[in-house]
Amino acid sequence: MKRLLLSLGLSLFASSAALAADPIVVGKDYVPTDKDERGLWDIMNEEERKLKTSSFVMRDPALNAYVRGVFCKMVGPQCADVRIYLVRTPYFNAAMGPNGMMLINSGLFLRTRNEAQMAAIIGHEFTHYTGRHSVRLWKNIRAKTDAAAWLSIIPVAGWAVAGALTVAQLGIMGSLGAFSRDMEREADTGSISLLAKAGYSPMAASNVWAQLRDEMDATAAARGKKSQKDKAQGMMASHPSTAERMVDLKALAEKTPVVGTPVFNRDPYRAALAPHWAAFVDDQIKLNDFGATELLLAELAKEGWTAELLFARGELYRTRAKGDDLAKATGFYRESVAQVDAPVEAWRGLGLSLLRGGQQADGQAALKTYLEKRPEASDRAMIAMMAGVPK
Amino acid sequence: MRKSLIFIGAVSLIAAPALAGYKLMPQGKSVAVAKSGLTVAPDRPWNKIGQRIGKNAETWTLDGVKLNDVTFYGGIANDTTLFREVDKKNRPLPRFSSTMLIPDIAGLFEGSYRVAVGTSLMSIDSIEPANFAGHQGFRFTYNFTVENEDVKRNGEARGAIVGGKLYLMTFEAPTIHYFERGAPAFRAMAESAKLGAVKK
Repeated sequence: MKRLLLSLGLSLFASSAALAADPIVVGKDYVPTDKDERGLWDIMNEEERKLKTSSFVMRDPALNAYVRGVFCKMVGPQCADVRIYLVRTPYFNAAMGPNGMMLINSGLFLRTRNEAQMAAIIGHEFTHYTGRHSVRLWKNIRAKTDAAAWLSIIPVAGWAVAGALTVAQLGIMGSLGAFSRDMEREADTGSISLLAKAGYSPMAASNVWAQLRDEMDATAAARGKKSQKDKAQGMMASHPSTAERMVDLKALAEKTPVVGTPVFNRDPYRAALAPHWAAFVDDQIKLNDFGATELLLAELAKEGWTAELLFARGELYRTRAKGDDLAKATGFYRESVAQVDAPVEAWRGLGLSLLRGGQQADGQAALKTYLEKRPEASDRAMIAMMAGVPK
Repeated sequence: MRKSLIFIGAVSLIAAPALAGYKLMPQGKSVAVAKSGLTVAPDRPWNKIGQRIGKNAETWTLDGVKLNDVTFYGGIANDTTLFREVDKKNRPLPRFSSTMLIPDIAGLFEGSYRVAVGTSLMSIDSIEPANFAGHQGFRFTYNFTVENEDVKRNGEARGAIVGGKLYLMTFEAPTIHYFERGAPAFRAMAESAKLGAVKK
């Protein structure tokens, strides 16, 4: 979560916005003139240079084209000014740099449920960009503190290494909260009008926040803790509260006229993401967040529990292995392998959950099936021993 | 910053190793590790890092934790984490259970890393049976990349569950050059591992 918060901080930071109407319009011919803005661009350009070769950037041409297509549909010719990087990170976030670099986390795709919701987030980030929010915030930071203190945060290091943040840095970030809150509101407003112009339902924006609040409830419930949804947490404090945001966005959406029938485009979204669900879901399961994962899987399964989703659910329960989780996992795996397109790993999961639950013979039989179906399995040596067959 | 120091070892990548003290571990001498009954006899000198990543864990390095490290987990008890929580409230680590099967241990290890180090680029590459410290145990290999750093690392783990507790030692180093170079020292040390009573 820290990491999520930090990246939100950066997104806020790297994206910030002018409050008053700013006469300068950014675009591909825009060149920063004053030294603060030039400095910020230099830092961001360096981060983008690193990002270009990063193994975390997802380069699948089809997915990139889809996301870019949605973006361009929304913002028109200005889309040529922005480079979009899809980053394999399982937390919900997106960020935008003043130089036209936009980052979208893979964790976002698991949480937005249709094209309009994804567009709402992209539109929000784009408004930060056109409003030159980051420069405004940058100047504000420069006035408050030694910029050097910031250099250790700004680098994209941010989203992997929240742990490296010092208490002082966190404090500085906190003190900037009020300033950026208004910028966040402005970006929310901008996203609503972009959605409406492109024919998307502007309601999509508030839906995203409602879902995030549900997810926080689910996380907390499964951990036996109090939900954090109404708590201003760390870096989140610089964003308006999720409740306020949800209500404001809904009110604004209700007032915003849309040309034609507003669309959500759930089907094209699901189709574009289909090749990636298994990997994203696997990342999510391994976050040790049972409640949220269960909620996200149920959402994906709205049109029915596919063999892949049943397998994922089995993995989730087998990993937790509390109470009757193993028995439930066994059930999900069995339902999965009953379908023709069951992932081979469902046999592995079935065998392991049966074995751990004390059902030796059935467990070994399932593991044997796994090895027959996947003779080149990377864990063959171990599974073969457990299944009681020669390597 | 304090929090970041927790991450020595794997996990070392986030640490500021200069701030932690080192102690020379001479070659050929059998030494107890991770405050447990686990002893190893290194075939060359190593540097033990003063800061621990957990109550029952300790880390050694040859050339500095970013280049190679061995982490010992000495008797992880039921319902405890492999190493210290990073952010217990928001990102709790998965816990070891005495009823885990060997593939579950690899899963526990991967899950702990993904949460603590903050990466989605991690996979277990092989799992096989292998004796460890005179007990029926396992060996698994893995690789991972930390997001801000983008250096791919390989890892190898050896261990066993004995008396309901997990004993584990891991070696990891950048895939390029360092892993192959340091792995023999790790393997020799793993072969020398013995499990006895905890010396108070």
